[in-house]
Amino acid sequence: MVYLENVVKTYRTRKGNVKALDGINLQIKKGEFIVIRGPSGSGKTTLLMTIGGMLRPTSGTVSVEQENLYAMSIRQRANFRAQNIGFVFQMFYLVPYLSVTENVVLAAGAIDSKKRYTQADELIERFGLADRNFHKPSELSAGEQQRTAIARALLNRPRIILADEPTGNLDPDNAATVLKFIADFHRDGGTVILATHGLAAQQFADRIIHLRNGNIHY
Amino acid sequence: MTTSSLILKEIIHRKGNFLLSLLAVVVAVALFISFFTASKASERETARLMLSMGYNLHILPNGTDTSEFLLTGLTDKTMPQQYLEKLVSPKGFSYNHLLAILQKKISWQGMDVILTGLAPEVSLPGQEKLPIVQTIQPGTAYLGYILAEKLGLKKDDTIEINGHTLKIAKCLFEQGSRDDIRIQCNLQDAQEILNLPGQISEIQAVDCLCFAPTNDPIAILRKEIASVLPDAQVFQIKPIATARAKQRQLVRNLFAVIMPAVLIACGVWIGVLAIMNVRDRQSEIGIMRALGYGSGKITALFLGKAVIIGLLGAIAGFLVGTALALHFGPDIFQITAKTVIRPESSLLIWSLIAAPVFAAVSSFIPAMIALTYDPAVTLRQE
Repeated sequence: MVYLENVVKTYRTRKGNVKALDGINLQIKKGEFIVIRGPSGSGKTTLLMTIGGMLRPTSGTVSVEQENLYAMSIRQRANFRAQNIGFVFQMFYLVPYLSVTENVVLAAGAIDSKKRYTQADELIERFGLADRNFHKPSELSAGEQQRTAIARALLNRPRIILADEPTGNLDPDNAATVLKFIADFHRDGGTVILATHGLAAQQFADRIIHLRNGNIHY
Repeated sequence: MTTSSLILKEIIHRKGNFLLSLLAVVVAVALFISFFTASKASERETARLMLSMGYNLHILPNGTDTSEFLLTGLTDKTMPQQYLEKLVSPKGFSYNHLLAILQKKISWQGMDVILTGLAPEVSLPGQEKLPIVQTIQPGTAYLGYILAEKLGLKKDDTIEINGHTLKIAKCLFEQGSRDDIRIQCNLQDAQEILNLPGQISEIQAVDCLCFAPTNDPIAILRKEIASVLPDAQVFQIKPIATARAKQRQLVRNLFAVIMPAVLIACGVWIGVLAIMNVRDRQSEIGIMRALGYGSGKITALFLGKAVIIGLLGAIAGFLVGTALALHFGPDIFQITAKTVIRPESSLLIWSLIAAPVFAAVSSFIPAMIALTYDPAVTLRQE
């Protein structure tokens, strides 16, 4: 499903090169729930972005669904991402001038925006946002915003969800709700790779990976 | 979500940025329209004012004693009146306002006077102009100031020259020139008085406004006239011609300096606002990248917005610019204001084409900056 071979990512900074990923080798099976733990700066987000086809590694190979991501053109990779990968971020990143429904449907824009409002409405209903679908992000609570972001991530029925601290800005109740939705996706056969500082997600994990200084420690 | 609906929703959300960008286009278009309209009016005004300085081109018969002509303004030779028809050519020559003249120094009432017969002024085909001088009706005459004063003549008196009677249609004001000792009449009357039927002594004309001071207009004009009248001699009254050309060039130079400055300033203004807009939308761009939106769609969001700003700015700018020209023009161009300050409707079409292009070009670099944002950096929370 996801295959990383000797992946290195080096950032150039004024103080010199910094290795965010230092020869990562990782295999994730279809339907696995992986939790990546590690301190700030350990390379969690870099690893997720690299798996998500948004950050070309300095060296090494990243394959998802037997496709070598970085052998693709930018356009091919964008299409692949739209069809196969859903992102959930700590900061939600909802578009401020779009309503809940429009933010969810935004995910369809990259593929096919027709007939997607019905699917969006189903997700909104499922995530308890039916009475908020015309509201703008600024009119939503943090929990509602993150549920909207998860609905957006799920609209295209991705095979993988990459979640970067999805509960980092939420209170415990909302965090539990969000984790439940992600766990539901996993239970339905989806693959989840979730980066977090917290411990709450561990109960759903098939495997926990510790990342430190760009290296994996099992 | 269509690109257009995303653009419209973003415009409504960030009204301030949109309105400031729109204002930049309106200012650029309005200044361009008002300057262009004013410069056109200025050219017409200049043309009208310069025409009042008179004809600046003299086409003389072959063999004319040029020293005598320069000394007296008169020629000792004549040429057929039909030569005028040869000059009225559809070839797009650089002159107009053709006036056939027959004039000689004669003795009349014990004085040396100039008798000048004028044909009705002729324009080139397709370039019809209002005549500089009025047509003098047959059997009438305009009398110079000194002649009228010395002889105590006034309007509607009759005079006799070589047995030919003319009624005074006008006694001219003092000019301080040879005109004060001139009797002007219809060409045919002059030909009869001087017994030179079908003859003229010169053709006067005005060169066109197309010459720059750096051109050599007389060489161009001589070449053009030689192609139809190989034997004619051509003189240009340089001070008048140069004044006309310099005045015209002055307006053009002003336009050439001010307009690029205005366009650059407004372009930078739009560009800065677009960069601010791009920076405001970093995370939006990042998430769209993450959702699989390609470069084309993201570029379209920014350039599409610029085109909308350009179209609306063109319409508003045209209206504002035209209003400015109509409001302030009459104070500036007092002689011709009533007839020359008018909306240049063709400019609206040009504005609708140029302003969106201008806004899109100004937003192009910010759009490219948007594309270079690394979503992995934008969306990083480590």
